[in-house]
Amino acid sequence: MMFGRYKGIFHREDGDILVETERNGGLLTYRRRCKGQTFERLLVSETGEIVINPVEPISLPKEITKFLQIEFTPMILEPGASQTVYLKFPVEIGVFLEAARDIDVLDVFGLGTQKYTLYGSPTGGVVARWYRSAVYTEAPPVECLSEGVMELSIHNASHEWVEISCAVFDSTDMKIYYGDFVATTATMKVISVTLAETDFIDAPLRPGMVKSIELHAARKIPVINRGYLMEWGFS
Amino acid sequence: MSFNATEVFEIPIGIGNITVENLLYFTVIIIIGLTVAKVVSTNVRRALSDRLPKNERELLTKLVYYLILVWAIVIALPQLKFDLSGLLVAGGIAGLVIGFASQSVVSNLVSGLFLMFEHPIKIGDNINVADVSGSVEDIRVLSTVVKMYDGIYVRIPNETVFTSNITNYVHNAARRFEYQIGIRYQDDANEAIRITKDVIETHPFALKSPAPSVFVDNLGDNSVNRTAYIWAPARNWWDVRTDLLWRIKQELEANGIEIPFPQRTVWFADGLEVKNRAAEKKE
Repeated sequence: MMFGRYKGIFHREDGDILVETERNGGLLTYRRRCKGQTFERLLVSETGEIVINPVEPISLPKEITKFLQIEFTPMILEPGASQTVYLKFPVEIGVFLEAARDIDVLDVFGLGTQKYTLYGSPTGGVVARWYRSAVYTEAPPVECLSEGVMELSIHNASHEWVEISCAVFDSTDMKIYYGDFVATTATMKVISVTLAETDFIDAPLRPGMVKSIELHAARKIPVINRGYLMEWGFS
Repeated sequence: MSFNATEVFEIPIGIGNITVENLLYFTVIIIIGLTVAKVVSTNVRRALSDRLPKNERELLTKLVYYLILVWAIVIALPQLKFDLSGLLVAGGIAGLVIGFASQSVVSNLVSGLFLMFEHPIKIGDNINVADVSGSVEDIRVLSTVVKMYDGIYVRIPNETVFTSNITNYVHNAARRFEYQIGIRYQDDANEAIRITKDVIETHPFALKSPAPSVFVDNLGDNSVNRTAYIWAPARNWWDVRTDLLWRIKQELEANGIEIPFPQRTVWFADGLEVKNRAAEKKE
């Protein structure tokens, strides 16, 4: 497992990914290799720690949106129905520098491929990171370095049958936990045939999981957790 | 000996007929004016904090502050037996002169205010206005600053911006662009379309939805012309456009499909005779 806290010199290799630091005089060199690309930075740090954990999938190849759209096998829900399902969602790997008084983002990389989509109309919609997942009734096995498990509790609060085949989330609300696998917990409340509300729950999927440092927290971007209102339908 | 407090107010202070009461009224009105000016200008500053740059915000705040203060002074001055009628006539004439002189300034100012509240453009947007294309650097009270794509600074009066057609290339979340890609007549157009779609699919910023569209558009003089419509995030479309075209060209060529040069088939009425001059000389 690559995720965790490191101090001073370390070396971690997992498949195509290499992350290491080496001391050269008074300087510490951080080096990362992933998919044939190398990223290096010189660090001046005596007490700082390097934290590697899964982060919200919005930074690669470059950050253009904060929304995540997961498309899945269509489900038809009767009025008032509630169901918890499991989906796969993409993750990126964040490397943070942590000192007693501050935390900052050093590097973000990932193994998966990225695809973006438009949710809604070109005039009023939003660009979102797109990912396709099957629907699982139990937490599926996942590749820890590129994807995680999302426990999604869907509730149809409308008075009609609804078909759901996608969910859009505001990733700044995302709470990612990691342990044996990467996980997040989310909710989706269908309000009407075209309107639904999504949000994340700040709780680990399994006891003992560690909470990831969030990108927006490290970047000191203040956010208000309000969830996301899907106004452009969900099928 | 009795003391009447109201008599104190009627004591003249020694300048004309001005009494202590007049002086008190004047002071109270000015203090109220100062307080109102301070409260209003603070609120104006707060309200405009995310709409205007700091220097212009401060300018407007000061303008509001002094306008209210002048208004308080005008109300208070009659208490000091100051005749404002002469001042009003002079002020009226001065106002007329200043009004004529600053007609365009006021027009630009009003247009600037409308631009700030209507929000057709924002700082950083790529726009075309009054035949100037570039990115918006600043929206000021009187003018809008555009940095053209070749780095040239252009200051456009707000009246011109407001009354011109504004094309904002990044106002919407996504936009579409297109390619015209010709292939030889002997190439398989369906295969070429499949390859092109596959290349588009692999690009992260070629949007999944609205889906790209690739089709044979027309049969040209030199090639079978295909059109590709691709949607991309509005702020990244140029990068996608430049990146994808070369990838498509390389992938087509890797699969034996070529983009033909212009060509012309020439028919000779009497056929074409090829002479070998070297052989003729030997004979």
